[in-house]
Amino acid sequence: MNNLVRAALAAAMATLCAGACWADTIKVGVIAEFSGPFAIYGKQYKEAIETYVAQHGSQSGGHDIEFIYKDVGGANPDLAKTLAQELLIRDRVNYLAGLTFTPNALALAPLIEQSETPTVIFNAATSAINKQSPYFLRTSYTLWQVSTPLADWAYDQGIHTVVTAVSDYGPGIDAENAFKAAFEKKGGKVIDTIRMPLATTDFTPFIQRVRSQAPNGVFAFLPGGPPTFGFTKSYNENGLAKEGIRFLGTAETEESNLQALGDAAIGLTTAFHYSEAHDSDVNAAFTKKLGELSAGAVANWASVGAYDGTHLIYKMVEAAGADGPKAIEAVKSLKWESPRGPVEMDPKTRTLIQNVYIRDVERDKDSGRLVNREKGVIATVGDLGWTD
Amino acid sequence: MSVQEIPLTTIRTRIRGVPLMPEAVMLALAVIAYFLFPYDLALLTRIMVMMLFVLSLDLVLGYAGIATLGHAALYGTGAYAAGLFAVHVSADPVTGLVVGAAAGAALALVSGLLLMRAHGLTLLMLSIAVTLICQEIANKARDLTGGADGLRGIRMEPVLGLFKFDFVGRTGFWYALAVLCVCYAVLKVVTLSPIGLSVRGIKDSAARMVAIGSPVYRRLVTIYTIGGAVAGVAGALAAQVTQLVSLEVYAFNLSAEALIMLILGGAGRLHGAIIGTLIFMVVHHIAASVDPFNWLFIIGALVLGIVFFVPAGMLGIPAALRNLTGRNGDARP
Repeated sequence: MNNLVRAALAAAMATLCAGACWADTIKVGVIAEFSGPFAIYGKQYKEAIETYVAQHGSQSGGHDIEFIYKDVGGANPDLAKTLAQELLIRDRVNYLAGLTFTPNALALAPLIEQSETPTVIFNAATSAINKQSPYFLRTSYTLWQVSTPLADWAYDQGIHTVVTAVSDYGPGIDAENAFKAAFEKKGGKVIDTIRMPLATTDFTPFIQRVRSQAPNGVFAFLPGGPPTFGFTKSYNENGLAKEGIRFLGTAETEESNLQALGDAAIGLTTAFHYSEAHDSDVNAAFTKKLGELSAGAVANWASVGAYDGTHLIYKMVEAAGADGPKAIEAVKSLKWESPRGPVEMDPKTRTLIQNVYIRDVERDKDSGRLVNREKGVIATVGDLGWTD
Repeated sequence: MSVQEIPLTTIRTRIRGVPLMPEAVMLALAVIAYFLFPYDLALLTRIMVMMLFVLSLDLVLGYAGIATLGHAALYGTGAYAAGLFAVHVSADPVTGLVVGAAAGAALALVSGLLLMRAHGLTLLMLSIAVTLICQEIANKARDLTGGADGLRGIRMEPVLGLFKFDFVGRTGFWYALAVLCVCYAVLKVVTLSPIGLSVRGIKDSAARMVAIGSPVYRRLVTIYTIGGAVAGVAGALAAQVTQLVSLEVYAFNLSAEALIMLILGGAGRLHGAIIGTLIFMVVHHIAASVDPFNWLFIIGALVLGIVFFVPAGMLGIPAALRNLTGRNGDARP
């Protein structure tokens, strides 16, 4: 038995040395969802990473870059932390990435602080995460970042009274607070704030409540999937649009849900940082390559978050190799042209400063698909939810 | 009994005669695992936390026959109690465990007073309802619990003032192992004590237990409360090791997975809970790292296989094999 233990230990040591000596490969651990109800996010991250690698090669600054994927299955901080420890200790990764859910990202904070590992958040959108460790960088957006400009814009369009209807959980309440604060500051009036239970499937009572108060607009925040279908369907069936109650949203019409929403979605107004239909060469190249590599893939916020995250990792590796603190310094204030438009890494909040676009859902004449047509940039902002 | 079989039986009795043999083997394996898998200490720690949780379910479901799908309520309450205690009062780990145990036991007592009046499907539904209520409270009390973002800011002091929680997870491992051993010992005593024996009787036939004068309702509430304390310790341990508590501690999934692990190992025996958890979590881990995209198929196949071929769980395999070969003196004709 003793010999067996020794042999196993020796083998483990040998692999470890092999990993350390092969300094030319920089490893990136991607912690995301590849199974369960949120598997679509992991799939989109992976597709976007592969698209970036296909466009830019698997090397940066003379180092090979290797991605290791780990399945966390959903919001599960215990597992996220275990996976990160495994990646850092056994696989010796130099960078971490992924992270859809806020608790998963928060659980990593003490670890990456100790190991000085730059960690690129592809989604998790709570402002406070980046305050927990200087090694967090975020290539998605925060709820304040899109809700606040939407409130300003709505007021300028003559929408002076609004009812907010949000799902009753953390992000929903954040969105409500952000919208309300900005809208009231402008001089608008929030008549009613409705919080709908997360598991609601029948939205008619809430929609009726909105209708009876006859506001100029209704600000909604719902998690993707069935709740969004249900809400937009009720919105149309109850004729709110005809009565002049404008729909104001953020991620509700994101591309992976959009086709399924059908004609009910046409005319919905949202403020968001990325549309698959964004008109630029970079985006055209990105969506084209993505479609070539994986048939039927749609580009949405998850894809663009991962694509820009990969870009950021490539830039860090190019500048600093495996040196974590130096890598972070190197990309602070980095500017580049993303598929979503021009972006800049804010050195203070380590979240992207980016354009927020106002979009209407339309049916594209050429492809016959529903698209989020950008009507204009309403603001270029950093993380508005950051508090010192 | 034929002449040839005598030596076999004596050998078996002799092996069984060694006190606490399975426990000693398990403890030895845990220590060996520490040296054999120095890079997987975080995983081993998580497995031990889960073992503790499944042990508590074993007491409630395997021994007392209380059919619950809401065991996560007790785990989650223990986790939040220990987390809040660490943030607001004291970051001492051991005191935190006591607080977690007290919180788990308190919820088990209060909810048990209602739950233990119900049976079967009603009990199942009520137990799920209790978990959902807890989850909604944690979600609503955002200022206190952090809501969907999770309760953050838990920074633990060294265990007993001596051992700091380290990056690789050495302290976490030994800490969890020690807690697991203590709780296992407590549960062993409980299951061998008169109350343990009487709840086994209740599981087999509550009506007869009433007939011989056993206070069935009170016994069940007591055993549920003890189970709640152990589940609370498991939750507290998870909160301290992860240093974050999220709403997922109340997830229905957690209760269901614990049930699968218990059935896998064999309900009604403490080491069944340990073996089931170990096999499930190791298979889960290996399958998920070999193929992070399709590993759920393997888990599904494992559970199906167990349910079809060895309904009594892993501990039922030797008996099943003996029955198959027909070499066993105790085998039924």
